[in-house]
Amino acid sequence: MKQHARIRLAVIYIGAAIVLLGTIGPFLWLVSSSFQYERQLLNRPPQWLPNPVVLDSYREIFEGAVLGEDSGVPYQSRIFLRSFGNSFIVAGSVAAIAVLVGSYAAYPLARLDFRGRNVLLFGILASRLIPALSLAIPIVLVAKKIGMSDRLVSLVFINLSFILPYVIWLLQSYFKSIPMELEDAGRIDGCSRLQVVHKIILPLSLPGLTSAGILAFLLTWGEFLFALLLSETPASYTSTVVVSLFATDVDVNFVSIITAGVVSVIPPICFALIFQRFIISGLLSGSLKG
Amino acid sequence: MKAETNNERKEMSQGMLAVLFSAPAVLIIAATILVPFGLAVFLSLHKWNLKRPGRERFIGLENYVDWLTDSDFWEPLQTTFTFAIGAVLLIVAVSLLVALLLNENFPGRGLVRALLLVPWAIPSVVNALLWKWLLNPQYGLINALWFELGIITEYQNMLGSMPSVMIWLVIAYSWIHIPLATLLLLSGLQTIPGDIYESAIVDGAGLWQRFRFITLPMLRPMLSIVIIFEMIFALKVFDIIFVLTAGGPANATNVLGWQIYTETFRKLDFGAGSSIAMLLGAITLGLAILFYVFLDKGTEPQ
Repeated sequence: MKQHARIRLAVIYIGAAIVLLGTIGPFLWLVSSSFQYERQLLNRPPQWLPNPVVLDSYREIFEGAVLGEDSGVPYQSRIFLRSFGNSFIVAGSVAAIAVLVGSYAAYPLARLDFRGRNVLLFGILASRLIPALSLAIPIVLVAKKIGMSDRLVSLVFINLSFILPYVIWLLQSYFKSIPMELEDAGRIDGCSRLQVVHKIILPLSLPGLTSAGILAFLLTWGEFLFALLLSETPASYTSTVVVSLFATDVDVNFVSIITAGVVSVIPPICFALIFQRFIISGLLSGSLKG
Repeated sequence: MKAETNNERKEMSQGMLAVLFSAPAVLIIAATILVPFGLAVFLSLHKWNLKRPGRERFIGLENYVDWLTDSDFWEPLQTTFTFAIGAVLLIVAVSLLVALLLNENFPGRGLVRALLLVPWAIPSVVNALLWKWLLNPQYGLINALWFELGIITEYQNMLGSMPSVMIWLVIAYSWIHIPLATLLLLSGLQTIPGDIYESAIVDGAGLWQRFRFITLPMLRPMLSIVIIFEMIFALKVFDIIFVLTAGGPANATNVLGWQIYTETFRKLDFGAGSSIAMLLGAITLGLAILFYVFLDKGTEPQ
């Protein structure tokens, strides 16, 4: 029996090692490549760890914005930092507004008894079934007509509407888990519905609000289709757009391309690892009950 | 009597509150989803090419008829299905294996589960860049590995021909989709009570029998959800195509998502683009319903 347990553990650890290698191996290689000289990357067999650690491409990206056109730094590197900031602005705004607006919409769905409740819930969820590509066509057309193309605020607005159904669903299931007695006690003490939401529901839902906000941030950070279609100049490029400009340009050296990829995923990966509990619980409650 | 009127008044105020509270969210969703959807239907019934301004006109279902009688629809449709079926199979198979592993109790399990979030958090465009790098014909790590292992004798352009381009596209796409599927299946596995397994062991059921007759049936609802979601996602694949293959080589990876993009935003034919996007939407929705009915049927009676 002891022998059996040992074999079991050995099999598990071999499996876990394979899973780990497959999970983070490709990304680690991207990171390692970004610190090497381009010519070292041609080595056979490949050089696994950078030696020496080369920071040139990182310098290009972080100083690119102030370096001129004749510095030899690729165009994409010079606009990267700005797009990185744009991604923060868009994803941060979407997360904040989605949680704020989503909380108010989620409360009646979780707690109030009104006609059309199921219709509202179903309608909100069903709106996500329409493929973004088919909506993109009229949205781009209208945005150009009314002069809203190439603006970050349009991106915030569009992303918001795609994230909101998800956030509302997540929050209403979280609100339902808060004991009704707490709310009743507040009502007896003379709180209005709005006060109940502000003083009881929201403070108790902090973990749920955090999950929703982080998921909204991460999903918006990675959004590409609308970021591509609604931007015309570097003023409104997000980091995914600049990464795509890097990746589809054959004239830029590989190390610059790779570095852009690495830098653009630092925020989402840090967020994901720091807030892993919130993310996993958010992902599961968001889809489990769906 | 009095209680009733009180209730009625409460009912009214609850409805009003619901309207007020949900109005901002509903308005935002309506403005960017419902209105554009209406416009998309409108566009799909018109000849609407931005290259020929002023010549927009209503043509009924002509766009649809054109697509349905055109190989430019049927070939991308076939490519889309090849891709989607491959991706769903790979994602479900790998995530089921990983979920079964993580369902075992072992020190370090939490770490493996946490690191699953690394690929999950990588945006699809960066993922495409990553695989473009791994598959590079001169520098690519996969070429290097295959070469060192003696599988190939010289470096190859893995994105340069069929079927290898489709295989790698499916792998690259699946890499960031496997983690969420794994977490969902894992949560499904954890709802299966342990004593069922114990009594099965007492009855002499082996590993495979336990999987086949306990795990699989009890996991079926979650498995159905994962399959349906992944199918919906894979059918509208676009981002990775944009960066990794641009539909090539020679249209080998020209999926419907890419066809819609080139038709609309390169040829600027918004009418034709809208109608093919509607077709893709209808196919996706139809399949989702079909899968739902088909996969759900087996779960009810035990």
